[in-house]
This record gives sequence, C-alpha cells and structure tokens, in this order.
Amino acid sequence: MKKRFDYGYLIALVISLSVALLIGAGIIAITGRSPLRAYGALIDGVFSSWRHIGDTLEYAMVLCLCGLACDVGSRAGIFNVGGEGQLLLGALVASRIGTLMDGVTPWLAIPCAILGAVAVGGFYAFIPGILKVKLKVNEVITTIMMNSIAVFLCVYFAKGPWKNSVNAEGIIVPEAYRFTTLIRSSNLSTAIIISAVLTFLVWYILQKTTKGYEMRLTGDNPRFARFAGIKADRLVIAAMVVSGMMCGLVGMFRVYGAERIFKTTAVSNEYYFEGLMVAMIAQYQPLPTIIISLIFAILKIGAMGMQSVGVPIQIYWILQTVVIFCMAGEKGIRAAIRKAREKRAAERDVLARREGGTANE
Amino acid sequence: MNEFTWTNFAKIASSTLSQMLGTATPVALAALGGLMTEHAGIMNIGMDGMILMGAFVAAAVSYYLASAALGILAAMVFGIVIGLFFALFTVKLRSDEFIIGCALNTFAMGITAYLSRSLFGSDGIRGAAYLHNIHIPLIKDIPFLDNVISGHSLFVYLTWVLVILMWLFVYRTPTGFWIRASGESPETLRTAGKDPEKMKWVASILCGVFCGLAGAHLSLGKLNGTFVEGMSDSRGYIAFACVIFGAAHPGKVYLAALMFGFFSALGLQLQGIISSDLTEAIPYVITIIMMVYVVVSGQRRREHLAKQQLKKLELK
Repeated sequence: MKKRFDYGYLIALVISLSVALLIGAGIIAITGRSPLRAYGALIDGVFSSWRHIGDTLEYAMVLCLCGLACDVGSRAGIFNVGGEGQLLLGALVASRIGTLMDGVTPWLAIPCAILGAVAVGGFYAFIPGILKVKLKVNEVITTIMMNSIAVFLCVYFAKGPWKNSVNAEGIIVPEAYRFTTLIRSSNLSTAIIISAVLTFLVWYILQKTTKGYEMRLTGDNPRFARFAGIKADRLVIAAMVVSGMMCGLVGMFRVYGAERIFKTTAVSNEYYFEGLMVAMIAQYQPLPTIIISLIFAILKIGAMGMQSVGVPIQIYWILQTVVIFCMAGEKGIRAAIRKAREKRAAERDVLARREGGTANE
Repeated sequence: MNEFTWTNFAKIASSTLSQMLGTATPVALAALGGLMTEHAGIMNIGMDGMILMGAFVAAAVSYYLASAALGILAAMVFGIVIGLFFALFTVKLRSDEFIIGCALNTFAMGITAYLSRSLFGSDGIRGAAYLHNIHIPLIKDIPFLDNVISGHSLFVYLTWVLVILMWLFVYRTPTGFWIRASGESPETLRTAGKDPEKMKWVASILCGVFCGLAGAHLSLGKLNGTFVEGMSDSRGYIAFACVIFGAAHPGKVYLAALMFGFFSALGLQLQGIISSDLTEAIPYVITIIMMVYVVVSGQRRREHLAKQQLKKLELK
C-alpha cells in the first residue's frame, strides 16, 4: 500500500511550529525580553559550535528511538506508555552490569550490558502486554503505574545498595566501557550509529515486510486479523516486548554514551513521554518521527542557548507543547473546517434550488 | 530507636496518621475531580499539570493581592479555564486524550517554571498570604485525636465535606446521572435527549476546579504560601491511580488517597529501617493488582451470568 505524500500534514506541521514560535515570542515579550534576540540565541545555541550540534543529534536520537518504540507498539494496537520505566530500568541494570564486570574486556562487557538492558526493558513491557492480551487490563494505566514503580526502584538502587560514587548519588560506569565520543565534549557517541541501523530496521520491518503488515492489520482490526490466520495475541505481546527492549536500549545508550553515570533524573527526565508525543504527532510513521525528533532536539538545545539572553530554559516545554496541542487538534480543526464548508455549500445549494424552484413556478 | 512504650507508640502513630491526612488531602481533592472525568469516559492524565498551574495561580494571586481567599478563588476560576481548554481538545476536537493530558503536564511544568523564574526569580514565590492551620475547639482537648485530626489546614476538613457532596452529586442528582451515562453509554444518553458532549464538558470543568483547589491547597495550605517549581510532584498521577483504585466512587477514592498518604507517611517514619522510596512504590503495585482483580472479577461475573442464561435457555 503506497501512500501519497500528505501535503496537508506538512502544512499543518509548519503552521503549528509558527504558532508555537509566535506564542513563545508573545510570552518572551510579556516577560520583558526581546523575542528576536531570544530566537537568535536559539539558532546560535544550536549551530554555533560542533559540540551543540552533537548534543542536538544525541537528543534527537533519544527522542527518535523512543518514538519508534512507541510506533512499534501502536502499530500492533498496544499503546506502550511505560517506556519511561523500561528506559530507566534498562539504564539501571546496564550500569550495574558495567560496574560488576569492571576489568573484563569491553568486547564482552558492553554486549552483556546491552543484553541486560534489553532483557529488563523487554520484561518490564511483557507484564503489561500479557495483562492486556490475556486479561484485557488496560495497558495504559498499568504502564503508568509501572513507570512510577520504576522511578522509585531506580532512585532507591542508585542512592542505596548500588551506589558507587562518593559525592554524587549514582552509579558510575567504568571508563573503558563508555562509547567513543564522536564530537569532543558533546554527548554524541558511537551509539548513534547503532541507532541509525536500528531506525532503518524498524522502518524496514514496519513498512516493507509481511510482519509489519500483519502488525498493522492486528492494530486496525484484531478480530479480522485473527480470522485471517494471524496469531494476533502473540503478535501484540511481541510488539510490546520489542518496544520495551528498544526503550531499555535507549536507557543503556543514555548512560554509556552520554551521561556516564546513572542518576535517575539525568538519564531520563520524562524523555520517553516526549518521544511518545513525537510519535503521536508523526502519526506513528517512522520517517516523520525522525524529522520531528530533530526539530524538538533543536528547540531543546537551542533553549539552553536562550538562557544566555535571560530567557528561562522552560520556554522549550512551552514551545514543544504548543506544537503538540496544535498537531493533536489538527484533525479536529480540519474536520470542523470541512464541516463548515460543507454546511455552507449545502446552504447555497438549498438557496439555489429554492430560487430555481420559484423560477420554475 | 527508643525503647518501646505505649506513649511513644501513640506519638508515632498519631504523627503518622496526621501526616497521612496531610499528604492524602491534595491527592484526594484532585482525585475527586478526576473521578468526574473518569465517569464521563475521559482518561485524564493531565491532572498533574492542572494541580501545578492551580498552585501557581493561587500563590501568585495571593502574593500580589495579599489575600489567601482571593488566591483560592483565582485558582478555582483558573481551573474552569483549564477544564474548558482540556475539553476543547478532548471533546470538541476529538484529540487523543492521553496525548493532551501528557502535553498539559509538560506545558504546566514549562509555563509555571518560566513565569515564576522571570517574575519572582529562581527561588519561586515565597511569602504569599496563606491559610493558617485550624485547631478544632472540642477535639483539641482529646489527647490522641487532637494530634491526628486537629491542626490541619482548612482544606483537610473541606475535603471531607466535598467527598460527601460529590457522592450526592454523582449518585443522587440528574446531572451526575447524565455524566455517568455520557461515559458509559453516550448513545443511550443521546436517545434520552441529552447531549453527552455537554456532560463531558461539565465533567472536565469540574475536574479543573477540583485540581485548582488541590493546587491552592498545596501552595497556600500545605506549604504556607510558597510556590516551588514542579511542586505537584506527580500527585496528579497518584490521583489518577486513586480514581482507578476507588472505581471512581468518591468514598472509595478518598480511602485510596488515604492509603497512598499512609504509605508515604509510613515511609517517612521508617526512614533508616527501609527506604521511603520502596514504601512509596507499594500503593502503585497494589493499584495494578487491584486493577487486575477488578477486571478479572468483572469478566467472571459476566461469564457466570452468561452461563446461567444459557442454562435457562436449555431448560426451556
């Protein structure tokens, strides 16, 4: 099934971005700063140095992988909201494995850490998945609860039994196991190469293979899929587990690639939710997910630059959510416009007929 | 640890219970609003943001006008606006309620922190007019109860009244009935000549007002006139869990909030023995188990009914 490129969608995205920037400008102006200077600082903050470009790419990678993880689930009709917990637990376990294996060659330790993160993430997604499929328990609510549990667990382990740093509350990953940094003193590491491969794989599987097609079928109409001979239950659980595994891997990347130390709020400050919103406004399509991740990453890193002209960094959240509100309302707004147009056309039609009728008499 | 004596135990127990009431109240207030949207069939994740914005508005207005009452009023009015905003997207534009809720939370974090930093500096709002704690005359003289019940902010007692009012509203008034119908079976309600969408708007506005109250309680009641960034501290999610746990019944929801409050108070008391991070996670685990139980028992009941029907048919 080849879909024609949707220009309406692109236009909506551009309009949403402009609306967000306008509202942001208004807020900046009200609080007594110059919007032009602020947005200048935004551009400057991203493109003035390689380091910031690297940070931007790293953040885009995180958002993109989280978004794709959400895509995988939603394609099969299960909404993985628990990515935050899966990500955090993946990061926690990966960093614990790293510290335990300290001294072993990286060629063994890093695969072990990856395996651990992926396994934990997958398992943490498996629970709500099986509850949903076997018992019809709403996966959104269970995963939200499990996020909170994961946060508490991570804070507990990082502060308590697994802590290995003296002054910082966290788990430091041994120097030898860290991913090589691609741009000096930025967060960008070789993890992005793995991510790129993974992104391509997800895109390929979702768009080009029978499995992807079966998943879409299951997501759209599980009963039909079952009649068509697809093992829908198994597919849904598998999609959820894969989604969780991806989230676990992102957690591992965050610690080994960027942060170098496991601290709960530093590893992920609701990044998965941002990724999820990216996936949603990308309408669960892989390619737009990449583009929107990049846009959001530019906004985020640029917002750090805006601090230099006295604009609080939180402007990022405002800009981002306005885009999301606009895009989330887009369908409704378009439908309302279409309805109004149809109504007007119908009225005109009635009027014309009435006039025609009188002329006939 | 001190030697065990009954007076010691009573002291610890009363302070635990008092803390329980204190922590449960903001959650319960928000959950009372959340159960309205739950009844109306809207999954409301955005309560956290509503609370946060309510807290900010209450603190800011109370700071500038030096009146806690006006601050609370402003938070409630603002709650209406937020409720309208939420309903505009979830009901009118039919957006994904989960995404809107999420975005609302993030937006609230952003706008409150942004405004408080640029208007009040990096410390947040301090020294707004606040509500003084109330010492109830009669209970003040009863030794144990005094420590538990007396000496809270007005909101703690207000919540008790509101729980009862809410129960009356949901189960004993036509509007409450229609709101429940708008979630359970909107088509039936439409057939009965009521607009389910309108009921969802009402529920959403009520939810906003209650979350505004919860926020006002946080900044003006609990923290004595201060606003700190992110002070809602995921209470909205806890409130959501309470709504699910209490099956959207006001009394049960309040009990669920008390349970959350109890475990968090217990965590504070047991510090040094077991980390509070672990005790605070317990209610979430219980909520999941409870959800599974509710769903499974519902299925069992339906299966049982179906089998009985089948038997009746066979007998004929």
